[in-house]
Amino acid sequence: MNSTTRRHIPAAMLALITVMMSCCMLLGAAAPAHAMEAVKCTGRPNSDDDPTIIMGATQSRITFEASVEEGEGVTQFVLHVPDGTEFNTDDLAVTLLTGDDLMTRTEVPYTETVEGQDIVLDFDEPIMQAGHLNIIVYDVLFPTEGGDMQVGASYTTSDGSADGTAIEGIPTIPVQGISKTEQLSQWLGEQPWVQAWNSNRFLRLFFDPTILVTSFPVVLSGFFMSIAIVAVAFPLAIPLGLLLALMRLSKFPLWRGIATTYVNIVRGTPLFLQIYVAFFGLPLAGLNIPNFPLGVIVMFMNSGAYMCEIFRAGIQSISAGQSEAARSLGMTRAQTMLYVVLPQMFRVVIPNLTSEFILLYKDTSLLAAVGIMELVMYARTIVASTGSITPYIVAALFYLVITLPLSKLTRILEDRSRPKRGRRRRIAQANAAAEAAKAAKAAANTAKEA
Amino acid sequence: MIITRRQFIPLAAGAAAAAFGIAGCSNDTAATTGSTPADTGSAAETSGDGEMTLFEEGKLTFATSPDYPPFENLEDGEYVGLDMDLGRAVAEYLGLECVYTNIDFDGIIPAIVAGGQADAGLSGISITPEREEQVLFSDPYYIDNQAVAVMSDNTAITEENASEALNADTVTIAVQSGSTGADFAAENFPNAKQLPFPNFTDAFAAVQAGKADAVCGNKAVVDQMLAGAYSDEHTVLTSATGEEYAIAVSKDNPALVDAINEAIAALTEDGTLDEIIAKNMG
Repeated sequence: MNSTTRRHIPAAMLALITVMMSCCMLLGAAAPAHAMEAVKCTGRPNSDDDPTIIMGATQSRITFEASVEEGEGVTQFVLHVPDGTEFNTDDLAVTLLTGDDLMTRTEVPYTETVEGQDIVLDFDEPIMQAGHLNIIVYDVLFPTEGGDMQVGASYTTSDGSADGTAIEGIPTIPVQGISKTEQLSQWLGEQPWVQAWNSNRFLRLFFDPTILVTSFPVVLSGFFMSIAIVAVAFPLAIPLGLLLALMRLSKFPLWRGIATTYVNIVRGTPLFLQIYVAFFGLPLAGLNIPNFPLGVIVMFMNSGAYMCEIFRAGIQSISAGQSEAARSLGMTRAQTMLYVVLPQMFRVVIPNLTSEFILLYKDTSLLAAVGIMELVMYARTIVASTGSITPYIVAALFYLVITLPLSKLTRILEDRSRPKRGRRRRIAQANAAAEAAKAAKAAANTAKEA
Repeated sequence: MIITRRQFIPLAAGAAAAAFGIAGCSNDTAATTGSTPADTGSAAETSGDGEMTLFEEGKLTFATSPDYPPFENLEDGEYVGLDMDLGRAVAEYLGLECVYTNIDFDGIIPAIVAGGQADAGLSGISITPEREEQVLFSDPYYIDNQAVAVMSDNTAITEENASEALNADTVTIAVQSGSTGADFAAENFPNAKQLPFPNFTDAFAAVQAGKADAVCGNKAVVDQMLAGAYSDEHTVLTSATGEEYAIAVSKDNPALVDAINEAIAALTEDGTLDEIIAKNMG
C-alpha cells in the first residue's frame, strides 16, 4: 500500500502543475480529477482444508480499499457486491485510512442504503482528505458454485467531475465451489437431531458432527505426515540403536563413554526440548534442513537412544553360555554376536520394539510445537478457528487406528515369546542350542574355508 | 433437555458452584460499595442482577497466553503488560481478586466455552464473527493493526515491494496459529506458505533461524518484539485492519460481560485505561 501512495506522488505533482497551468487559461474549468483507484479487494479465506481458499456458500468477508486524493470531495460511493452473493450490512465498516503510513483511522460519517447488490454510501461531508477508503462487508456468502468474483465500485464527487464513475482495475476474488465435506457439514447443521445433540455443551465441544466431517479430511493429511515421519525415522533408529548398544557393551572405554553419554543425555531430557534445540539451534549453526527431514532426524535420534537400551537388555538376556559355546567353537567375538546372539536377541525384543514404535508415533505430536504440519498441528489449527475440541477427538481416532492394533500385536508376540509350560521351554531351549551349534559349525566351516 | 443421571452430578456441582459464586460476588461488591463511594451505583447494579458466576469464589480468573508483549508477558514470573494491568484494574473495580491462568492462545476460546478453567479470556483477543459464535465479547479496549516483519538484511522483501514480494510461493510466513495475523496473511498473501506456531515468540525465532522469511501479527506486538529481542528484524508492511481487542466471556455468563463492560467504561472515563495504554506502549 505504501508503494501505491509513493507512486502517486509524482503523478499528483504532475497533475497539480497541469491544473495550475490550465487554471491560468480556463478559469473555473474542472481539473481532470485524480480519480479514485482500487488498492485491494480480498475475500476472507474460509476453508479448513487450505487456509488460503475461499469457498462459496460459507461465511466470508469482503475487504475493499480504494485511494482517495486530497480534495477529491467524494460524496457518494457505491460498492457492487458480485451477483448471487449474499451479504449483510449490520457490521459494515467504513473507514478512511490517512497519514503517511495510512495507519490513522478517520471516521467518515455516512448513511447506507442497500439497492439489490449495491451498497450505497452517502457521506455526510464530502471526503476532502487524502487516504484510503476501506470498506469491510461482513456475513458474505459467495455463490455455491464459486468462480472469479468481480466486485464493482463507483463514486460521485461534489464538484461533479465524477458522477457514478466506475473504478477500474479491481482485482477479482477467486472463489472455489463449496467442498463436499463443507456441504455435508452445513446439511448436518440444519438437521434437528444435530441441533439437539449440539445443545449439550459437552457433546458440542467434543463431538460436534458438523466439525467432525470438516476436520476429518484435514486431519487425515496430518495423519499421512505423522505416518511418513515414523515410517522413515523408525527403520533408521534400529541400526542407530544397535550400534549404540554394541558400543555400550564394547570393551573399549571410549566407545562405551560416547554411547553412554549420548543415551543418557537423550533419555534424560524431554523430546520437546530436543525438538526446539534442533529446530532453532541447527539453522543458527549454519545447518538449514527443511521441516520434514528435520522432524525425522530428531525423532530417529531420540528413538535410537531408547532402542539402544532395548537392544542392550536383549543382548544381555541371551545366556552367557550361548556366546561361551560359540567362542569355544572358535568363532570370533564378531561372529558370535552376528550369528548367535543377535538373531536370538531380535526375537526377544520384538514386543519392546513394537511399543517403541507406538511411542514414537505418538511423540510425533510434539513436532506441532515447531509448526510441522502433522496430526495434532492440523487439528490444532481447526480448534483455533472454530473453538471446538472436536478436531482433537478426530486426531485421537487417527492415533488409535494405529496404536490399538499394534498393542494387540505386541500382546500376541509377548504371549508367544513367554512359554507357558516347562516342556515347551525345554524344547525351545534345545532348539535354540541346536540352532546355535549349527550356526557356529557353519561359521567355523566358512572361517576354515577362508 | 432431559437430564440423565450422568449429567446430573456435574450439573448439580455447577449449580452449587454458581450459588457460591453469586454469594461471593455480591459480598465483594458490597465491600467495594463501602470503600469507593463513587462506584456505589454501578456496583449495586452488578450485584442486583446477581447472575454472574465465577469459577472461583471472590476471584476473577483470566485465561491468558503470556507470549504477547506488550499485552501479556511473563517477567520474573509476574504477569505484565497492557492486558494484565487492565485485568487487575477490572478485577479491582469489581472488588474481586485477579488471577491469571496460562493457556496457549488457540486454547483460550475453547477453555472459555468449556468452562472450569477461567472466567474470561484476556489475551489480545480480536473480535471476529467466528469467535463471536463461540463466546461473548466485552466492549473493545484497544484497537490494533497488522504488521509484517523480515530480517533487516533481507534484500528481497523491502518496504517498497512488500505487498507483492510477500505474495510469492517461495516465501514462508511465520504466524501464531489461530491468530488474526494468520488470517491476514492467508487473505493478503495467498501464494505464500504459512508456518504456524502455537507460541508467537517462536514465530520470530523462526525468522531468525531462517525457517521463515517473514512474521505476521498484530502491530503493537511486532513493534515490541522488534524493539526488544529481535532488533535485527524490521517491519516492511503495516495495514490498518482496526481489530478490536476485547475480553471473551462464556455465553452462559452475560452478567459477567455486563460487569466487565461497566468496569471498562469506568476505567475509560477516569483515564485509567489511557494510563495503562501509555504505560505499556511507551
